[in-house]
Amino acid sequence: MGLPFIKEAITQLFSKPSTEKYPLVKKEVSDGFRGKLVFHPELCINCGMCMRVCAPQAITRTIEKTEEGDRITMEFHMGSCTFCSMCADFCSKNSIELSKEYSMVVTNEDDLKVRGSFIKKAPPKKELSPEQLAKLKAAKAAKDGKAEEEFDSCPDA
Amino acid sequence: MFKKIIDNSMAKSPWIYHINTGSCNGCDIELVSVITPRYDAERMGFKLTGTPRHADIVVVSGPVTSQSKERLVRTLAQVPEPRVIVSLGSCPRPCNVFKGSYSVEGPLDKFCEVDVSVAGCTPKPEAIIDGLALAAQILKEKRRQK
Ligand code: SF4
Ligand code: SF4
Repeated sequence: MGLPFIKEAITQLFSKPSTEKYPLVKKEVSDGFRGKLVFHPELCINCGMCMRVCAPQAITRTIEKTEEGDRITMEFHMGSCTFCSMCADFCSKNSIELSKEYSMVVTNEDDLKVRGSFIKKAPPKKELSPEQLAKLKAAKAAKDGKAEEEFDSCPDA
Repeated sequence: MFKKIIDNSMAKSPWIYHINTGSCNGCDIELVSVITPRYDAERMGFKLTGTPRHADIVVVSGPVTSQSKERLVRTLAQVPEPRVIVSLGSCPRPCNVFKGSYSVEGPLDKFCEVDVSVAGCTPKPEAIIDGLALAAQILKEKRRQK
C-alpha cells in the first residue's frame, strides 16, 4: 500500500471537530465538582469552625449588636477561596455547599463575595424569685467564708 | 481608511500576553488548554503572543513574589495603552493561601489597575474564555474612549 493512512484521513475528514462549542453550548460539569459556594444562613449556628479550617482565610465574620440579638454576617470571598471544600466538610450543620457554578468573572471584586446573615438570640435570662435569690446569696457567702477559713488555716510561709 | 481597517481588525483579534508571577502552574496550564484545539480561543480571535509589546490583554497569574515583582513591573511598562489586565485565579488579587508570606509582595492591585478577575483555583477553561471575552469588550470600550 502506497497510502498507509488513507482510511484514517478519510474518517477524520468527515468526523466532527473536537473543539467544544463553549459559549454556544453550556458545559455540564461532572459530579463532585467544587464551584461557587452557597451559604445557608438559616442553618448556621456561628460555631466558627469554617473560619478555623480555611487555609486562605477566605471567610470573615462580622457581629453587630441589634435589639433582637446578635446579627452575624458570614462572608465567603470567592476570589480568595481554593475550593478545597474543607469548610463544607467541617460544618456540622451542613450550611455550606459547593455548587456547580464555575464561571466567576467579575470586574469589581466585591461581586465575588458570598454573604449571608442571620440573627442569633441570646439565651433568655432566668427570672429568680426572692427566696431563690436569698438562697443563692447564702450559698455564696458560705463558700466565701469557707475559702477565707482555708486561707486562714494556711501555715505561714 | 487604513486606520479604520486596522482598528476593526484589532478589535476582532486581541492578543494575549501571559505572565506568571509565581503561580503554582495550575492556572498557566489551564490557560494553555484554552489555546489548544479542544477549547480553541483562537476561533474567537485570541492569540497568545510572545512579547508584551504586541499585547492587548495581559493575563497575570500568581501572587506576585518578591523575585517576580520587578519583572512584572518592567513587563507591564512595555505593554502599549490601551491595555486590559486580567487576573487569573485566586492568587493575584487576595493572594490566596500565600497571604502574609515573607516572599509575597501582592496583591496585584498595588502595581497596576486590574480590569477583570477570573475566580477559581484553578478556573475552568470555560471560565477563562468568559473572562477573556469580557476583557475584549472592555478593550473595545477603552479604544473608543481614546
Ligand atoms: S472551600 Fe476551602 S478555601 Fe474555600 S472557603 Fe471553604 S475552607 Fe476556605
Ligand atoms: S457555617 Fe457551619 S461551620 Fe461555619 S460557623 Fe456556621 S455552622 Fe459553624
